[in-house]
Amino acid sequence: MSGGPSSEATAELVDVTVRFGGLLALDRISFDVQANEIVGLIGPNGAGKTTAFNVICGFQKPDSGTVRFPALGRTALKPSQLCAAGVARTLQGVGLFVNMSVLENVMAGAQGHVGRGFASSLFGLPAGRRHELALRDHAMVQLERLGIAQFASSLPGSIPYGISKKVSLARALMGNPSLLMLDEPASGLDESELDELAQLIVELRESMSVLLVEHNMDFVMPLVHRLVVLNFGEVIATGAPSTIRTNPDVLAAYLGVDP
Amino acid sequence: MKRLALFANQGATSSRLVGVLLLTLLTLAITFVLPPVADSQLASGAAISIVVLGLSWLIGWSGQISLGNSGFMAVGAYATGIWAHHHASSPIIFTFVLAMAVGAFSGLIIAIPSTRLRGPYLAGMTLAFSAAIAPLAQNYTSITGGEGGLFFNTLTTPHWFLNLFSGQNATIDANAQWTADLAVVVAGVTFFFMANLFHSHTGRAMRLVRDNDVAAELVGVNLPRTRTLAFVVAAAFAGLGGSLYALINATVTPSTFPLTLSITLLTLMVLGGIGTLSGAVIGGIIYAFSSNLVGHINSLTGINPTSNLGANMQGIIFGILLILTMLFTPRGIAGLGPRFGRLVANRRRVAPLATGE
Ligand SMILES: Nc1ncnc2c1ncn2[C@@H]1O[C@H](COP(=O)(O)OP(=O)(O)O)[C@@H](O)[C@H]1O
Ligand SMILES: [Mg+2]
Repeated sequence: MSGGPSSEATAELVDVTVRFGGLLALDRISFDVQANEIVGLIGPNGAGKTTAFNVICGFQKPDSGTVRFPALGRTALKPSQLCAAGVARTLQGVGLFVNMSVLENVMAGAQGHVGRGFASSLFGLPAGRRHELALRDHAMVQLERLGIAQFASSLPGSIPYGISKKVSLARALMGNPSLLMLDEPASGLDESELDELAQLIVELRESMSVLLVEHNMDFVMPLVHRLVVLNFGEVIATGAPSTIRTNPDVLAAYLGVDP
Repeated sequence: MKRLALFANQGATSSRLVGVLLLTLLTLAITFVLPPVADSQLASGAAISIVVLGLSWLIGWSGQISLGNSGFMAVGAYATGIWAHHHASSPIIFTFVLAMAVGAFSGLIIAIPSTRLRGPYLAGMTLAFSAAIAPLAQNYTSITGGEGGLFFNTLTTPHWFLNLFSGQNATIDANAQWTADLAVVVAGVTFFFMANLFHSHTGRAMRLVRDNDVAAELVGVNLPRTRTLAFVVAAAFAGLGGSLYALINATVTPSTFPLTLSITLLTLMVLGGIGTLSGAVIGGIIYAFSSNLVGHINSLTGINPTSNLGANMQGIIFGILLILTMLFTPRGIAGLGPRFGRLVANRRRVAPLATGE
């Protein structure tokens, strides 16, 4: 469980503390995500979920504690190193590149993977071009997998919200991640889109770990193996959805009985 | 379906090579028809188009602003002048490579602190750089020739080229045209390289940073490195353009590359069209022949060219053109082509991009 050294874990936070001035955003929190596990990070607004994501991604340096990626053989990664190390994250909302086509947005997902240098770009060497074409094909495959290939040449501003979310998911999958981090993937989706998304996440688990922040309990409960509940920067409960559902601390936090 | 957005990363290197080659050959052919004065103007325009292209890459592709490109031009020009004094007979290609390298290096020096700055702060930093060049040049007299500047006559027309011309003004004609042809060829080469960059992995990294820096980082783009690289490339292009400009005029002084030139470069870039090769070509052409336009307008309106109004006519015309461009074709004159194409397409299909469909 959380805290203990685990060689299997894809990602692991140990005693992580983050302060914003006087505010204790994360207070010695520990949890991990095992290989091929789906973990849900839940908690009321302001509990520290996004901050925890930012710590894992290297956007936020913890005041104390450590982040490790034992299965990837890495400790603390900078954001720009995540992609190559096998960690992909979607941003809250959509976070697409607005002036680039859907296809290019997805191609961008593998940007950190390639070794083609500046000289190859400048001289337009054939290897660079072959690589671009392969990337394009791979991106097309991702779009087809999510059933949105017909939007390949559209600009993000011209497609429906649900499609945009799929595009950002396709982009995250481009890098073949070992750990997929989803920040509120279900927000703004309709019933059928939610079903599709849940189906997809279950399929993805075959080849990767998934860590997701989510507000929609109906969506998250049947989907995840384990929940980590944050409240006021502390982990107040960890466990299977069935046990969390009846946990008195969690109920209190969500019903606002105990501030 | 909608295919407006699908333009990048297409086309092989060979097709870009053919495109640039055709345009270069066409321009070379034109230089044979133009009179010597127009050839000289064209040469300057070609030099400026290289700088505009670098600026277009910086602003249009990486999303960073620079008011310092006249400074990078000056650095390239002084490097050219100083090199000419010591190695007057070395092949001209060495001069160009040196000017690019020195430009790139100054770009690196500016970029390292600048990559932490955004928007107006970045603009201020680059502005300070280009403002510092003239005082520096005035100060280090032994290297830069001080107020009087440097003179060099490096561009000698080869005999075989001279022999193509005969008649009264053979030497004048040949010299003007050799200069123009050299400038056009150099511009052609740089345009080819930039075309490659536009369609490359590196080019995409720039656009990712420009559009959404957080998301760019998450897909593996190293932000400081990418932003610095954008500056270095733009400064190398400016260094080369400055070198060419100085060679054409056979001199560089502290006032050759004034701060206002940085503004002019920006204006030319917007007029032509940000982030496109054709926009830089158009910017260069406007620069080359703007004095003719100014002359026409002064004679049409009867304004005395030496009067206060007449002397500032170029700035006024650029200003008016800039306003018209921003109002009617924000993608610049180069954007008129695709816009026209879209207009025609829209008659056949119903509004492809208008709504959130
Ligand atoms: N950059 C920041 N500076 C100051 N306070 C912050 C910052 N980011 C988050 N916080 C605060 O930290 C707490 C946790 O925020 P966050 O992680 O965004 O919560 P959640 O994602 O669970 O809604 C909140 O009280 C929030 O206001
Ligand atoms: Mg949040």
